[in-house]
Amino acid sequence: MHTPRANSILFGAYVVFSSIILLVALILPGVRTRPLLAKAPLRDWFLDKALPAVLPKPDPVVISVLYSTEKEAWLTDVIREFEASQPALENRRPIQIQFEKMGSREIYVSVLDGTRKPDVISPASMLQIAILQDLSAGKFGKPIVNQADLNTCRSTVITPLVLVGWKERADVLWGDQPGDQLWKQMHDILIDPKGWSSFGHPEWGYVKFGHTDPLKSNSGFMTIVLMTYSYFEKLSGLTSNDILSDQDYQQWFIDFEKAISQFEYSTGPLMEKMIAYGPSTYDLVTVYEATAIEQAANAVGRYGQLYIYYPPATVWSDHPFCILQADWVTPEKAEAAKIFIDYLLSKPVQEIALLRYGFRPVDASIPIDQPGSPFVKYSPNGFRIDLADLPTVEVPDGSALNTLLEFWSRYIGR
Amino acid sequence: MRTRLSKYFYAMIIISLALSSCQGVTLSGLGGKQEVVSIIYGSEKQEWLEPLVQQYNNAQHKTESGATITIEATPMGSIESVNGIITGELQPVVWSPASSIYIPVANAEWRRSHADDLVTGNPKDLVLSPVVIGMWKPMAEALGWPSKTLGWADIASMATAPEGWSAYGYPEWGRFKFGHTHPNYSNSGIVSIIAEAYSGADKQRGLTLSDLQSESLKTFMADVEKSVIHYGTSTGFFAERMFERGPSYLSAAVMYENLIVAQENKRINGSSSQLPVVAIYPKEGTFWSNHPYAILNAPWVTAEQKEAAEDFQAFLMDRAQQLKAIELGFRPADPSIPLTSPLDSQHGVDVNQPQTVLEIPSAEVISGIQSLWREVKKPVDLVVVMDISGSMEGEKITSARSSLMQFISLLDDRDRLEVVIFNSGITTLTELSLVGEKRQQVLNRVSGIYESGGTRLYDAVLSAYQNLEQYGDPNHIRAIVVLTDGQDTDSSVSIDEMLGQIGASGEEAGTAIKLFTIAFGEDADKDILKRIAEATGGKQYDSDPKSINKVYSDIATFF
Repeated sequence: MHTPRANSILFGAYVVFSSIILLVALILPGVRTRPLLAKAPLRDWFLDKALPAVLPKPDPVVISVLYSTEKEAWLTDVIREFEASQPALENRRPIQIQFEKMGSREIYVSVLDGTRKPDVISPASMLQIAILQDLSAGKFGKPIVNQADLNTCRSTVITPLVLVGWKERADVLWGDQPGDQLWKQMHDILIDPKGWSSFGHPEWGYVKFGHTDPLKSNSGFMTIVLMTYSYFEKLSGLTSNDILSDQDYQQWFIDFEKAISQFEYSTGPLMEKMIAYGPSTYDLVTVYEATAIEQAANAVGRYGQLYIYYPPATVWSDHPFCILQADWVTPEKAEAAKIFIDYLLSKPVQEIALLRYGFRPVDASIPIDQPGSPFVKYSPNGFRIDLADLPTVEVPDGSALNTLLEFWSRYIGR
Repeated sequence: MRTRLSKYFYAMIIISLALSSCQGVTLSGLGGKQEVVSIIYGSEKQEWLEPLVQQYNNAQHKTESGATITIEATPMGSIESVNGIITGELQPVVWSPASSIYIPVANAEWRRSHADDLVTGNPKDLVLSPVVIGMWKPMAEALGWPSKTLGWADIASMATAPEGWSAYGYPEWGRFKFGHTHPNYSNSGIVSIIAEAYSGADKQRGLTLSDLQSESLKTFMADVEKSVIHYGTSTGFFAERMFERGPSYLSAAVMYENLIVAQENKRINGSSSQLPVVAIYPKEGTFWSNHPYAILNAPWVTAEQKEAAEDFQAFLMDRAQQLKAIELGFRPADPSIPLTSPLDSQHGVDVNQPQTVLEIPSAEVISGIQSLWREVKKPVDLVVVMDISGSMEGEKITSARSSLMQFISLLDDRDRLEVVIFNSGITTLTELSLVGEKRQQVLNRVSGIYESGGTRLYDAVLSAYQNLEQYGDPNHIRAIVVLTDGQDTDSSVSIDEMLGQIGASGEEAGTAIKLFTIAFGEDADKDILKRIAEATGGKQYDSDPKSINKVYSDIATFF
């Protein structure tokens, strides 16, 4: 009689004690940060050892991709689908992709100096591919990329450079739309010490324009390319000689850039600042059309209406994916990279870029004005569906681009 | 019995198995590796940040490697923190000053002894608040607001108008009384004098050193500074004093928009019975206080601390935390959050303002403006009243002496100083006269002070007060600093008689003589000293031989 009773008391105490520990374990935050059954030796053994023993899997082909930050959200979104489809080469070797994001300029600099050996690079635009093509030919004896070769270098999604401004102020500057002399007009108002007083609005202070740091961010680089083309009144054939030998241009350019108080390092934060600080800090900025779309909803209901203006000629951020022509890119890797690039060009993935992120698809069969398109939703903010009549400047050759960056870095960079 | 026993046995085995599977989790929850992230931040956002640090720490966030993140955040004046980090006395992982104005200055200093910048990249803003002039609404309306936009030029013309508010039909408000913090110690102080310089030069950008040479700019700054009742180190302290004491104390002060919202919140919910107050966004332009979050590029910051600091930053940028900032009157840095109540006209602010900013000048122009301010700032007429009774013997008198000497060295040549020592008697060591003419002589006298006798505190304070009333210049900041370590023993006046004579009230309360009292050691009568200080709008400090230097430095910021 005595023993069982003692046992039941002991057992009762044990149950209470155990329940407390169990409860504590469940309440503690550690539980929420890792799976409850993280340690499951049996399961691990089965998945890691037993299954492969029955069905031997070929080693994966791993390709490394360096991509620019602007498309991070789109890529993160669509890569899951790609992985879920269990992509493989013809010889059944599965494809794995390692991503690393960095600034567009950093991408080509790290390839040139050898700190990275990626298989695929994707800066924000062909400008960086052109520079890399030029500089790598000098450094390695032959170019490591070829922007003209559609087998290795493909634009994936495109978005033009636009001006975003507070409508009330832009109306005062140029009425409905900026004219053909946009950049010259901008130059003149930026250097005008009277600022907005010259337009009857002393309360708006001096005219505040912003673009990103061209050494750090592609949209800033595209802006100074457009400014320079516009100064020389041409749409193609910009050369190093134009930049280096024309002192009037140089003075014009330096005055323009010196009137800008601060250069953000990245396009997203520049646009966010435009909205968070309002017109006190920026009257006008240059960003990608897609960035403007991404922030269009946030701009509603604060500081007045934000409006998109297309410059008289633009340049496109076309997010090229280029397979490097380097000895570490094996034929298998090149094949895997092509499969991945084809996936990015597939219709559903292109539609996601349009509908969720405001990029224009390169696939012309996808209508931009389809239901749910942000271009339709935000058309009252000045977004245009059809840009067929908008002239595009030619991407200058790598040496001209490099000269422009060097010039900026020497006289403006701080 | 056998079956029952084995049933217990199996049950115990099952429970033990279940527990063992939880063990790893339990242990990692209970202890293990810690990653401490030290943050030094501008005190302006203390009310927002402090509870969030606690909330974050309680939630036991972890790094990739499983270390529990602990945030240790210390509020500090932005200028003080730059200096501390540059000298290496402070080694935080994250630095979040009130404004990014300081970043180029810090980088320039850092690069003198390092290859890279201290702050690299563009740090993200945590919360925003424009620098505004906080003014009583009826006063702003008397000046034509809101149909007329006001600015620094209006402050200058009010400051020089001898008839003050009488000219606007409000004689009871006395003269125009203005406040901004000390530019050597506080963010809103430095931006105030930069804005004054711009306004004096009639510019909004491109201010140069040669602009600072102009006589008219100097006069303009001097005019504005004439109306300043005193300086100080904390913008919050200024706002508090203004909102406690009302329009006769201060007509307007430079502060942050969020402080206006906070005060209006109090007024609307009934915990303040003051007049409404509004934010004036200077028409010439202003600056933003943007609270950048800079993870330092310093040798003492490890990769895991950086990772932990980024995790905390992401937490602060979460919607819930940004919405809390709005409740306290800040504007969110996240553009996806709408500017909703209390950021509205009911709370004295206008989210469509400011319309423009002033360009941040180069580091050398900023220091040029600081020197100019030194020349035109309001001088101080200061009386130091020091207890030398017998109980001050030993370390007390030594440290009181040396810290007083250091305090005197902080005064400008244009300031006037009187030093009074007391025990059972009262002795004037030096009469009220220009510091520049007698600095060394005063220092010599002070270094010879020794202790003896009783404590005639009230008599000494009252006589210093009466002297300053008689000989001080009401256009100067007039202040008395009293240091004592004990109770009054020998005075002929009572505390109430004394308070009756020194209390500041009426339309000139703001420019009345301020008393700063230091309770030196445990035996000092802190309550009485607090009553004395607060009757005049001054401040009481607790101190001992170890902290006395810091107290004197703080008092110096008022002048």
